[in-house]
Amino acid sequence: MKNEIHKVRNIGISAHIDAGKTTLTERILYYTRRIHAIHDVKGKDGIGAAMDFMELERERGITITSAATHCEWQDHEINIIDTPGHVDFTIEVERSLRVLDGAILVLCSVGGVQSQSITVDQQMARYKVPCIAFVNKCDRSGANPFRVIEQLKDKLGHNAVAMQIPLGLEAGFNGVVDLVTMKAIYFDGENGEHLRIEDIPENLLSEALERREELIDVASMFSDELTEAALEDEVTEDLLIQAIRKATLRRDMTPVFMGSAYKNKGIQPLLNAVTNLLPCPFDVETEALDSGNDETPVTLSSDPEKPVVALAFKLEDGPYGQLTYVRVYQGTLSKGETIVNVRTGKKVKIGRLVRMHAHQMEDILVMPAGYIGALFGIECASGDTFAAPGISLTMTSMHVPDPVISLAIVPKDNKAEVNVSKALARFTKEDPTFKVYVSDETGDTVISGMGELHLEVYVERMRREYDADVTTGMPQVAYRETITTRAEFNYTHKKQTGGAGQFGRVAGYMEATTEDDFVFENKVVGGAIPTQLISACEKGFRKCLTKGPKMEFPVTGIKLVINDGASHSVDSSDMAFQAAARGAFLEGYAKAKPVIHEPVMKVVVETPTEFQGAVMGSLNQRRAIIVGTQDEGPMCIIEAQVPLAEMFGYSTALRSATQGKAQFTMEFFTYRQVPKGIAEELVKRKAEEKNAA
Amino acid sequence: MRHKYIVEQVERTELVKPIESPSSRAKVVYLKDRNFYMLKKDLILRNPLRLMGYQTEGFLPKGGFGAILARAGVGKTAFLVQLALNSMLESKNVLHISLCDPVKKVGLWYEEIVRNIANQYNVRQMDQLWEAILPHRFIMTFKVESFSVPKLEERIADLTEQGIFFPQTILIDGLPFDETARGSFSDLKTLAKDYSMRVWFAVRTHRHQKPAPDGMPAPLLDVADLFEVAVELQPEGKEIHVRALKGGGTPSDHPVLVLDPSTMLIKDKRVT
Repeated sequence: MKNEIHKVRNIGISAHIDAGKTTLTERILYYTRRIHAIHDVKGKDGIGAAMDFMELERERGITITSAATHCEWQDHEINIIDTPGHVDFTIEVERSLRVLDGAILVLCSVGGVQSQSITVDQQMARYKVPCIAFVNKCDRSGANPFRVIEQLKDKLGHNAVAMQIPLGLEAGFNGVVDLVTMKAIYFDGENGEHLRIEDIPENLLSEALERREELIDVASMFSDELTEAALEDEVTEDLLIQAIRKATLRRDMTPVFMGSAYKNKGIQPLLNAVTNLLPCPFDVETEALDSGNDETPVTLSSDPEKPVVALAFKLEDGPYGQLTYVRVYQGTLSKGETIVNVRTGKKVKIGRLVRMHAHQMEDILVMPAGYIGALFGIECASGDTFAAPGISLTMTSMHVPDPVISLAIVPKDNKAEVNVSKALARFTKEDPTFKVYVSDETGDTVISGMGELHLEVYVERMRREYDADVTTGMPQVAYRETITTRAEFNYTHKKQTGGAGQFGRVAGYMEATTEDDFVFENKVVGGAIPTQLISACEKGFRKCLTKGPKMEFPVTGIKLVINDGASHSVDSSDMAFQAAARGAFLEGYAKAKPVIHEPVMKVVVETPTEFQGAVMGSLNQRRAIIVGTQDEGPMCIIEAQVPLAEMFGYSTALRSATQGKAQFTMEFFTYRQVPKGIAEELVKRKAEEKNAA
Repeated sequence: MRHKYIVEQVERTELVKPIESPSSRAKVVYLKDRNFYMLKKDLILRNPLRLMGYQTEGFLPKGGFGAILARAGVGKTAFLVQLALNSMLESKNVLHISLCDPVKKVGLWYEEIVRNIANQYNVRQMDQLWEAILPHRFIMTFKVESFSVPKLEERIADLTEQGIFFPQTILIDGLPFDETARGSFSDLKTLAKDYSMRVWFAVRTHRHQKPAPDGMPAPLLDVADLFEVAVELQPEGKEIHVRALKGGGTPSDHPVLVLDPSTMLIKDKRVT
C-alpha cells in the first residue's frame, strides 16, 4: 500500500436513475483493470434495465453493493464509494456523503438535468462536495450535451463549462475534442481501450477554439496567473488545469466532460479528470467535534503522524462477521494497535485491517489518513468514531435525538420472524436514531424513528434485503405530557386492613422546568421522612412518569420537590412510600394544569417557483407556521414548522401538488403544546381506544 | 379556509387575548396571563420610535413608507427587526423581505435581538412570548437581481388568497436605492396602498455621498416625496445615535436616542 496522500481520490458517482451510473462504474473498473470483461446492463434477453441492474449487482457483487471499491489509474488510487440517495434526512446518508472528497455527476445527454439529478446535486451542495459532470449517452438520438450544460447552469445554478466537444453526435459519435490539449481523441479497439490522439478535424476547429476561449475566460476568473497568461496568449496546459482545479475544489466551477459509457467512449479522459481536478484528502478541510469540550469544532489535519481519528461509516455483514468500513481522517491505523470507540469509551484492538477490492480483500498492516478500508471483528455502530486513547474527538455529533414516530410491525410468517429480528439488530446498529422495543400492552414489536419516510425505508429494506415481509400498523406520534403551573400535594398512604400495615405521607410541590425531563429535589428537614426512604419517593415519582395520568403519554419537564412527610416506625416501608409518592403525584398533577406536547418538525420544501403557492397551501392545511420562503432563481425553498402528526402522507400530497417536481426534508425541531381542539380530539380518541379494548 | 386561519390564530394567541377588551365581562385573570400581557405592553412601550415621539399607530399611516438610513454595518437590520418585533407584539403581521440574507440568517437576527431583550429587561417568559408572536412573522428572501414588484405582488397574493398570511407591515432590507429605482418605488407605493400595508426600508448610505442641504441623505433624494418617515442611525464614538430626519412634526420634536452597539437596544440615557 502506497502512502502518498495527494494521489488518493475518494469519490462518489451520482446520477438520475438510468443515466448510466452502473455502466460507467463498470467501465471505470474495466479500464483500471479491476475487472477483466465488460458485462452489459441490458443483456440479450431483453429484460428491462432496472431488473438487470439488480441482477448484475447480485451476480457480480461489485461496487454497487459494496460500500467502497478501490481501483488505480495513472498511479493514483481511486476509492469509489456508494452513495445512497433514497433518503435524504437520515444520519446514514450524511455519513456516506461526508467520506467523499469529490464526485462525478452523471447526466443523460438526452434527458438532461432530471429530478433525481436535482436531488443528488442538492445533497452534494449541502456537504460541499466538489464535482465534475459527465454527460453520458452522447450516442443516443436527440443527444445534445450543450443543452445539458445550459440546464446545469439554469436548473442547478452551476458554473458549468465544457472541457470537451463531441466528435459527431448520436449514431455518428466517435470521440471527443479535448479543449485543454486541443487534440481529438478517438477510442479504438473492441472495448475502446486504445486511445488514438489526432489533430482536430478542420470542420470542428473554429468551434473548438471558441469553446476553449470560453473555458479560459471562466477559469481565469479564479486565477490571476491564467488571466495574465491569457492576455499574453501564453496559456499552458498546466496553468489551465491548475486554475480549473482550484475553481472546482471551491465549487465555483463545474467542468463538463462527455462521452458514452455504453459505447466505451470518453471514460479514460474522465478518469484523468478525476485525478487532475478532484480533491485529494489533503485538499478537503474536515472538522471533528471535541466531545470533551462541549462539541466545539476542531479542524483535523491529514498528517499520518498525528494521533489517529477514523470514522466507521458503514457496516456490512460478511461470512466472517461484521466488516466495518472506516475512513481515516488523521493519523494512521495500524494492525495490533489499540484504539478507543469514542461513543462507548471502550478500547478495542485492531485484529485485522483490510482494504476492499471488487470482491476480495487484501490484508494490510497500516492505513494512513485519507484512506478508506475496513476493520474486521470490531463491535461498533455505524457513525462511531475511533480515536487514539486520550483523544475525545468525534466525527459526528454524539447527540442522538429521541425518536418522534413509531410503528407496530408484525412479521407475516415464521420465516419472516427470524429475518425480521436479524434485520432489526442490524438496523439499530447502523442508525442510532432507529429504535426497537416490544410493547408491554400489545406485545407488538414497535419500531421508532425520525419520520414516516425513515421508517418506511427500513420496512422496505427488511423486505428487500432480508426477505422479511411485515404488516405495519398506523404510525403513532410520540406525544408528551407536561404541567404548566405549580401545584402542591400532601398525600397520606395508609393501609391497615390485614397483613403488614403500610403508612407514608409525602408533601411538597411540583412545577414545570426546562432544565431536564425530570428533576427531583429533597427539602425534607428534621427526618419527617427517614433518609433511607427518600429514594423510594423518587422511585415512586419516576414510575409515574412513564405513563402520564392525563393521556398515558410520558411526562417530561417536571420538577418535584418534597418538603414534608410523616412515617411510622413499623408500617413505613419502601413500598409504602413508593405508593405514597404515586398518590402525591396524582394529586398534584391534577391541579397542575397538565397539557399535551407534540413533536414539531422543521420542514424544508424545495420546489420550482411556479408551485410555491400550492406548496404553501399544502403546508398551511397541516397547521404549519411558515417561517419563510427563499427565492433561488428557478427554485424556491420554503421553510416551515409543522406538527409531525400532520405530516403523514405528505410526500404523496406534495408530489401531486407539484407534478413530482418538489422534494422535502424534515427533521425534528421541538416539542410544542397541542392546540386545545386537537387535544380534545386526542382525549376522545384515547377514550374510544380504551372502550374498544 | 380564511375562517380556519382565524380560528387557529385565536388559538395560538389565546393566552394574551382575555384581557384585551375593556368591555369584556369580569372574569378571573390568571396572574401568569396578566404578567404575560404586562410584559408585552412593557416591551411595546420601549420601542425606539415610540421613545422618539412617533405616536401614530405603527408609526406610519397605512400605505406609508418609512426609511431607516445608515452606513454599512451600523445596524439597520437590527433596527428593522426591533420594529418588526414591536408589530408582532401588537399582534400585527410582519412580512420581512430580505434581498441580501437567506431565511436562516434573517431568523438568527430575530433570535439574537429577542435574546438581548430577554437579557436586558430580565424577561423570564421570553420563550413562551416568542412562540406566541412567531406566527405573526413571515420571511421572504429574493435575489436582488430577481426581485420585482410584480413578483412580490404575486407572492403576497399567494399568501392572502389562501388565507396563509395577511401582511400588515412589510420590511424590505437590501433593496438598492439608485436612479433606476424610482419606478419600482411608485409601484410599491401603489401595492402598499392596495393592501393597506406599511412599508419600512433599510437604506444604505455612503460616506462619499453628500446629503442635501436639508440633511436628507443622497439615496433618498429622488424618492423622498414617497416617504413619510425617515430615521438615521449614526455611529458617534462608542454609541449609535438615532436621529429623526422626517415625519411626525419637525425633527426638533424628536429627541435623539442612543443605541448600545453591542445589543442594538436603547440605552436609557438620551441625548438632548
